[in-house]
Amino acid sequence: MPEVLKAPLVVEFPFTRSLGPVQSAFLTGLRERVVLGVRTTDGRTLVPPVEYDPVTADEIRDLVEVAPTGTVTTWAWNHEPRRGQPLGTPFAWVLVKLDGADTALLHALDAPGPDAVRTGMRVRVRWATERSGAITDIACFEPYDGAPGELTGHDGRFGDMVTGIVAPARLDYVYSPGRAQSAYIASLSERRTVGERCPSCRKVYVPPKGACPTCGVATSEQVEVGPRGTVTTYCIVNIKAKNLDIEVPYVYAHIALDGAGLALHGRIGGIPYDEVRMGLRVEPVWSEGGRHPDHYRPTGEPDADYETYKEML
Amino acid sequence: MRTVRDIAVVAFGQTDHRRTSDELSEVEMLLPVLHDVLDRTGLQTSDIGFTCSGSTDYLAGRAFSFTMALDGVGAWPPISESHVEMDGAWALYEAWTKLLTGDADTALVYAYGKSSPGSVRDVLTRQLDPYYVAPLWPDSVALAALQAQALIDAGETDELALASVAARSRSSATANSHAQLRGSVPQGDYLVRPLRTGDCPPIGDGAAAVILAAGDRARELCERPAWIRGIDHRIEAHSLGVRDLTDSPSTRLAAERAGAFERPVDTAELHAPFTSQEVVLRKALRLDDSVRINPSGGALAANPVMAAGLIRIGEAAARVHRGESDRALAHATSGPCLQQNLVAVLEGDAR
Repeated sequence: MPEVLKAPLVVEFPFTRSLGPVQSAFLTGLRERVVLGVRTTDGRTLVPPVEYDPVTADEIRDLVEVAPTGTVTTWAWNHEPRRGQPLGTPFAWVLVKLDGADTALLHALDAPGPDAVRTGMRVRVRWATERSGAITDIACFEPYDGAPGELTGHDGRFGDMVTGIVAPARLDYVYSPGRAQSAYIASLSERRTVGERCPSCRKVYVPPKGACPTCGVATSEQVEVGPRGTVTTYCIVNIKAKNLDIEVPYVYAHIALDGAGLALHGRIGGIPYDEVRMGLRVEPVWSEGGRHPDHYRPTGEPDADYETYKEML
Repeated sequence: MRTVRDIAVVAFGQTDHRRTSDELSEVEMLLPVLHDVLDRTGLQTSDIGFTCSGSTDYLAGRAFSFTMALDGVGAWPPISESHVEMDGAWALYEAWTKLLTGDADTALVYAYGKSSPGSVRDVLTRQLDPYYVAPLWPDSVALAALQAQALIDAGETDELALASVAARSRSSATANSHAQLRGSVPQGDYLVRPLRTGDCPPIGDGAAAVILAAGDRARELCERPAWIRGIDHRIEAHSLGVRDLTDSPSTRLAAERAGAFERPVDTAELHAPFTSQEVVLRKALRLDDSVRINPSGGALAANPVMAAGLIRIGEAAARVHRGESDRALAHATSGPCLQQNLVAVLEGDAR
């Protein structure tokens, strides 16, 4: 059993999201240091505000300002802040019911330690220095003992409304491909292509995934295939791929390696692109230190008969 | 709950749940479990009328991993199949409705989760409200801790009572060879106060599968089918600050609709990944000390994300199969702080 292969894998997207009218007013308000709620059908004030009544599903649009001060309704002490969280030093997660609101907002509370935090304590918003119209325009909450903060009297109509947010998301993984694919990659490092045969239908899968999708059974018998194979079908690529130093046009083909039950894909080189054809016999070309064939080139053999590969198109 | 057809869980299988499964791909992890439930019923993959699965690509960071997992069920030529990006308990719900329509007599339901490649606490932040909550990256333990503190403030529990839930769960799990955390497990330090490591589920990889069958087909395939007398799921408002975190009206309503309160149950498998959530569920489901709670050890003993809810239904059904229960309740949850809840009531025929 070859050693388990592992590699870092980062999944990262900047999600661009458009806002509804209530979200837009709320986030624009935060940019302007105004906290807005929305009035529900039964007269409650929701902060953070939403577009639809959580009870009746009515469209709600009646914005109302609340104070930047409030009361903690529950809390949790986070002694080890994680990436992306509002504060880099130990802090309390809090749900805060702002003065004038009937529901609570989730955020961070900057406090010296868990002994300084309790349900019912008074807090106020600490605004971020740079604000763009996002929930992070509230840097965090901080302890506060005083009367409800003053309202600005704002009605929620601003010039230059925020209409969208960009929410970056990044997750880090350590990927391992499993038994069958690890064995496949290990043999490629010796310039051999090894598939696995289904014990039921006898088909040889390359690359192997560990299961036969037709029979639903595990594959395990290893079978070396190739190195030569047959082009079963192909396309001509005319668009240069980013970060890929290959002259266009070039041919990308499905190649059935000799002994394999299905075709894998690879680039065809060593022949003008307009001379590649179905049935062309090819062999892999390895680059120095390459972990898989760089491309395939013609062997010079006569073309394969269509009958020999028609099941693998 | 009266339905047009009687539908039962006729087989249940699961992997051993472990912290890592580096040596296996998802389909390699799943295959033995699929064959386990097929072998128990004597069915072939080609005999299955409908297949439904639950999983999420975010856990292991593998795009379209659920399509690759389909290799394990023999999906070619094309089968009648569906997938939910939810716990497998909701895949079972879809399969149950499919069987109700009469379109199929048997269904294979499976779920799997590999949490080991990523950081599941961070991964789960991506299911939160993307405008107001997800940008703050509140991890799953932090949100559960807010709920736990609310319960403590309300006088519904305290740290000692939570520790006893943890201890009872891991002690029960000694009889469950598949569990990841068994026996005496230290309550540990605070992870996010008031929750200690002992209050939190183990992080691990695993898979589970269930076969459903209707009417006489169920009686052919299983000596004592676990009949689904009722099943329902309900959801609460997504904003945490709108909810009363000390209660679970969605669980109560789902239980009512599933007929859970019509007669007492003898066993309950609750999907409570955090000790504090069991407190909420016991109250919502009106479970007293006469009911055996989580004889499997529950999610505190093994919590393969996306499969742990299906496992609750499977464990409850398996007890009915073995004659250890006559009427069992199974619960599954999804989302932060018990946001969405499914309740099923399973019964065995009189002996």
